[in-house]
Amino acid sequence: MKILLGTVTGAAMLIAGAGSMALAQEYPYRDITTAVVWGAGGGTDTINRMIMAEMEKHLPVSINVINQTGGVAGSNGMVYAMNQADDGYTLVGLSESNVTAAVQGGWDKKFDTWYPFIVGGSPDLISVPANSPYGTLEDLVDAAKADPGSIPAAASGAGSIHHLNLLAIEKGAGAQFKFVPYQGSAPGQEAAIAGEVALVVTSLAEQAPLIEGGQLKPLAMLTPESAEIAGMTVPSAFDIYDGLDAYLPLKQAIGFAVHNSASDEVKAKLTEAFDAAMAGDAVAEWAKVNNYDIGGQSGEEAQALFSTLESNFAYTLQELGVATVDPASLGIEKP
Amino acid sequence: MDFVFSQLAGFGDAFADLVLDPLTYLYLVTSVFLGITFGALPGLTATLAVTILTGFFGNKIPLDYSLIALLGAYVGAIYGGSYPSIVLNIPGTAASAATAMDGHPLAKAGRGGEALGLTTTASFIGTLIGTVALLIFVWVLLLISKNIASPEKALLALFGILLSGTLMSSDLVVKGWIAGLIGLAMAMVGLDPLLSEPRYTFGWSYMLSGFQVVPVLMGAFAVPQVIEGLRRAEIGKMAQLNDRIVPNLAAVRRYLPTITRSGVIGTGVGALPGVGEDVAGWVSYGVGKSVSREGKKFGKGSLEGLLSAETANNACIGGALIPLLVLGIPGSPPAAALMGALKINNVIPGPTIDPAIILRVVAILVLASFTMFLMGLFTARVFIRILRIPQTLFLPVVMVLTTIGSFSVGGGINDLYLMLGVGFVAYFMNMLAFPIAPLVIGVILGGLFDETFRRSLFLADGDLSVFASRPGAAILLALNVALILSQIPVVKRTFGRLRGRTA
Repeated sequence: MKILLGTVTGAAMLIAGAGSMALAQEYPYRDITTAVVWGAGGGTDTINRMIMAEMEKHLPVSINVINQTGGVAGSNGMVYAMNQADDGYTLVGLSESNVTAAVQGGWDKKFDTWYPFIVGGSPDLISVPANSPYGTLEDLVDAAKADPGSIPAAASGAGSIHHLNLLAIEKGAGAQFKFVPYQGSAPGQEAAIAGEVALVVTSLAEQAPLIEGGQLKPLAMLTPESAEIAGMTVPSAFDIYDGLDAYLPLKQAIGFAVHNSASDEVKAKLTEAFDAAMAGDAVAEWAKVNNYDIGGQSGEEAQALFSTLESNFAYTLQELGVATVDPASLGIEKP
Repeated sequence: MDFVFSQLAGFGDAFADLVLDPLTYLYLVTSVFLGITFGALPGLTATLAVTILTGFFGNKIPLDYSLIALLGAYVGAIYGGSYPSIVLNIPGTAASAATAMDGHPLAKAGRGGEALGLTTTASFIGTLIGTVALLIFVWVLLLISKNIASPEKALLALFGILLSGTLMSSDLVVKGWIAGLIGLAMAMVGLDPLLSEPRYTFGWSYMLSGFQVVPVLMGAFAVPQVIEGLRRAEIGKMAQLNDRIVPNLAAVRRYLPTITRSGVIGTGVGALPGVGEDVAGWVSYGVGKSVSREGKKFGKGSLEGLLSAETANNACIGGALIPLLVLGIPGSPPAAALMGALKINNVIPGPTIDPAIILRVVAILVLASFTMFLMGLFTARVFIRILRIPQTLFLPVVMVLTTIGSFSVGGGINDLYLMLGVGFVAYFMNMLAFPIAPLVIGVILGGLFDETFRRSLFLADGDLSVFASRPGAAILLALNVALILSQIPVVKRTFGRLRGRTA
């Protein structure tokens, strides 16, 4: 153990020495660290590890991905990254769900404190267990209308993107389900397979292996487009119920960010590497296999997207009574 | 039967491919060693080892090789946790908390070498049992784990807490239950898992994320050791020890039924989604204590107790991979990290996974357990020498290592205050003969119990009969009730009298 510690200290000193020698060089001259605010194995973690490995190919340095989880809506990781210098050597890996950290009391900053890069997201859909009596979305909605609030539905945690999608389809189709919160998409899907809930709303990427394996039966996409999976065509809910476009689509936005206060040189270098990586075949191939839609927005365009999500989430949470901080007091405008 | 043969043939091919590739050994030896080191350092967990390697290798080397590295580290880390449990009474990872119960008394009696040799063998056999289950019983186990819903999980978590309370008490059973309930209460702190309402946070943002397991584990086991050492520093004193690490084959043969039973229990627990190595060790230890003829000696340095815990936590690995590979639902926290590594490489675990990958995983696990076995006999020999270092030199190092371990989880100073706070409380609990292990188990399983218990009631509109109406739940409920009743003096006496009459 002593030998191990000695090696680590030695390595740390070497790195520190190399850093000070190269002080005059331009960004980036030392390794970059990306702190992912969600746990290992999840969508945000996987996407960041994938895109960072691709971006490395277009940068002279390595990028280390670490996980800084916990807090409220990933606030621990965001606070950690925010406390590091805004020199572009610390990035934060995040997703659309982090926009609720402020209204839930996790920290006191609006999302425009970041300069985000969006890799992509996966569209949400509504599915039922394979042996479910409901064959179509209409069956399910009719059953819910007959006995409002009796059919249990899983859609990740309260205030997550999937929960917002469930609320949107409830409003759009005029049905009411019994929302049962789960800590993440996987436990919710697991509960649907075990028959604990009658339906589950999560993303296509998360459900794909279960649909292809015949464990879940997809009813409808919550996007304007239909989707092809396991030799089936999953219809769009937009074609079944008119007026859904008032509430949907609400899509995932997964990627990473640097401090908005970082210098223009840092932002330009990162954007260059990001664009080059996004244009590569590896990202396209990855997205296809994993059922993701490619984003590719960065800077102001991505900020505008996150700002829409932020106000949407914030006021929905306030309506649900789970926001501890008034969004207006943070300067978040009504959608 | 055809399925079994085709699986075995497929395994043979995959194994041959693996053994004939010289690069395999490079990755395997390095990663198993790294895993053992991580497991042996208090606070650094198997999950962390797998996560770090995912970042290191991830998509930089072909999946075939990164799988070797990740699985090697996983197997090594679960095994490595037994070193500090036995030598220092500080579990290297939560998975080996049950190992300390009998391992440390053995080391104190000068049988540390024997204990380390036996755990090496037990871990080896355990890993193999889990792996065989992954190869052959994959579909049977899947059927069971798919039908486990919230009520069953809640009752299983409660059973784990009650069981450790019952087993660990040295005088009164109720003291163990009290410790377990304190742990359960600590697990309630933070945002509630269902509706995200803050509970017992007193407006402090650190408390929102609740108490982390690793600082509590380190505080509960390591800090009291260090305080004890401060009070009675015996300068220059060394523990008596017998260096013979080579496993005692006669003992292995004698305890073969125990090893087999623990392996099966470990695999089964591993196959349940979200329940991992830590629970496997305790459940197997508990079953061992009630079934074994040596049961009374458990906790005082019983080889059988040691084997029960250590076989099960390694057998859990194969079990935990079953729901991961077949359903895409990780069976334990390290398996969740493994899932990330697969996804980065465009392999989506679940029903659509290429069966060749499952066969390769099995082949890697078999080879990794052999590597672990051979390497373990060597590393254990080095590690046991720590007992020769005077306490006055060694305890400060332990304190530094546990501090690093606690800090590594969240990277916040508050985790260190938590570790110290729990440590002082644990020290006084030890003096009052309150067992500390049930408190830690309460913190580990309390979150699961809280979430699943409340969700069951939420789904049933507050109707308590959900815990009895499902067959699985009814069995688990009966086990819980029996466990409590069996410790109540009146019931004990009645049963004693009944038995006396029939005999």
